[in-house]
Amino acid sequence: MNRFNFPDLGIGVGLRTVHFKHILGTQPDVDWFEALSENYMDTGGRPRFVLEKVAEQYPIVLHGVSLSIGGTDPLDFDYLRKLKALARSVNARWISDHLCWTGVSGRNVHDLLPMPYNAESLRHTAERVKIVSDFLETPLVVENPSSYVEFTTSTMTEWDFLAELAKESDCGLLLDVNNIYVSSFNHGFDPKVYVDAIPADRVVQVHLAGHQNHGTHIIDTHNDFVIDEVWSLYGRACARIGDVSTLLEWDADIPDFETVHAEAKKAEAFRSVEVAYAAV
Amino acid sequence: MPRSDGAVALAPLQEWMQSVVTHHGDVYEAAESASIDVETVILPSATLEPIQRVGIYHGMYLLRMIEALTADYGALAHILGEEKFEELVRAYVLRHPSRSYTFNRLGDALPEFIASSKMKRRVFLSDLATLELAMTQVFDEAEAEPLPGDAIASIAPERIADARIVSIPALRLVSADYDVNEAFQAWREERPVKPRREKTWIAVHRRDYGVFRMPLTREAFTFLGFLIAGETIGSAIAMFHGRFRRLPEQNELFTWFRDWSAAGLFAAIDIT
Repeated sequence: MNRFNFPDLGIGVGLRTVHFKHILGTQPDVDWFEALSENYMDTGGRPRFVLEKVAEQYPIVLHGVSLSIGGTDPLDFDYLRKLKALARSVNARWISDHLCWTGVSGRNVHDLLPMPYNAESLRHTAERVKIVSDFLETPLVVENPSSYVEFTTSTMTEWDFLAELAKESDCGLLLDVNNIYVSSFNHGFDPKVYVDAIPADRVVQVHLAGHQNHGTHIIDTHNDFVIDEVWSLYGRACARIGDVSTLLEWDADIPDFETVHAEAKKAEAFRSVEVAYAAV
Repeated sequence: MPRSDGAVALAPLQEWMQSVVTHHGDVYEAAESASIDVETVILPSATLEPIQRVGIYHGMYLLRMIEALTADYGALAHILGEEKFEELVRAYVLRHPSRSYTFNRLGDALPEFIASSKMKRRVFLSDLATLELAMTQVFDEAEAEPLPGDAIASIAPERIADARIVSIPALRLVSADYDVNEAFQAWREERPVKPRREKTWIAVHRRDYGVFRMPLTREAFTFLGFLIAGETIGSAIAMFHGRFRRLPEQNELFTWFRDWSAAGLFAAIDIT
């Protein structure tokens, strides 16, 4: 159990529009759903209706892509107010977003842009995480991003940065093991070192996903099955963290719900600590 | 701007990266026009140079904008074709970059942008975009319980003139110089789209979370527009007379209110 007492929700699936009809119609045996916050904050239409229906039957976690926690623009409190209201309306178990920035000068690039890992950005981000957690009245859960560049101004590793950020701002962590794998390929580090360095008691949730390997680099596309190396990292993470809420993201070329759910359920094999150790 | 130790601080680094990622040219042109040399701030990897690494973000920016606008303007994207639509998106986001945490309203200025452009067939394309924009707006509007079908008919006759009929939020009126309703339908049914110049009036509305397009006559469009603007029925009739030099016929009014009520266009009756 993590230090925040956020429960292990089991194995969940990302709530996606193409599956709305299936989910409402068949009420599949899924432990929980993760909804992309921004898709439901400014709509009174069908997406919001479906989310509220789903929330009546399944635990919901909100996962954002536009908080821009590392951005240097002022925090957007209009966004935060809407996020808080949405979280209350669906009884979100926790709220997560990425260690990144999404735009400056009032613009949104709609990408998870990477941070330099140094003292300045650590101080800046930790301060903002604290403000956001206070405002939302729940510890923000921060996810490690996948990235394609490294900055000359970085003075620490991403895993050290995350560990320091968690300590300084008292936030939770969403450990995306696919992102660790993608970044390790792109930047040439050992992903096992990353997993081993993460403070286990901070990890509230784990993400799994597929990606596209272009030979010279990997893009985090969420459009395929999880590869064996990422499952192996997941096993290693489970061995350190114990049973932890786990979610499969599939955002492009999305197959039918049963295929996505079956892929997510492969995680069951790694959730027993003994099995996980064997898999490492 | 480098600090005294030579490193670039967080804020100028983010400004720099955004300017490169969102630049309308290729990544080399983007880097060329930027204030900081890419190799000063980005490390090479074992396989990619700094410019190639930042180029991954640059390439994904436009793709993401195209994907978002294709979701809202599917018919427009289809009619223009991949290359022309990409050209349009590239020019559009340069002028109207996203300033919101959501993609939902990224395309709000696209119909006007097309109308004021030098594009071929811009009147048709702008009309079609106006229809598709109305559909996305209606899709996202707040939900409201529609009035029962007989609610308007049950207003006491002596109070009808003073009644204001409040429309549901998920309702937009679209007037066009081209029959864009048919063009949109043709696209949806995967038939050839043949732009036909013909004045068209449409009510776009949502019912049970589905978006519908209701063709209207010019007269019906005008009268409904008065009601949506908050006029009482009496004043809407007077304004209709001012516009068309005749009163709406009783049969017309009956048909309009019957059809609009059945479609769930009204949420409340306000009689003061």
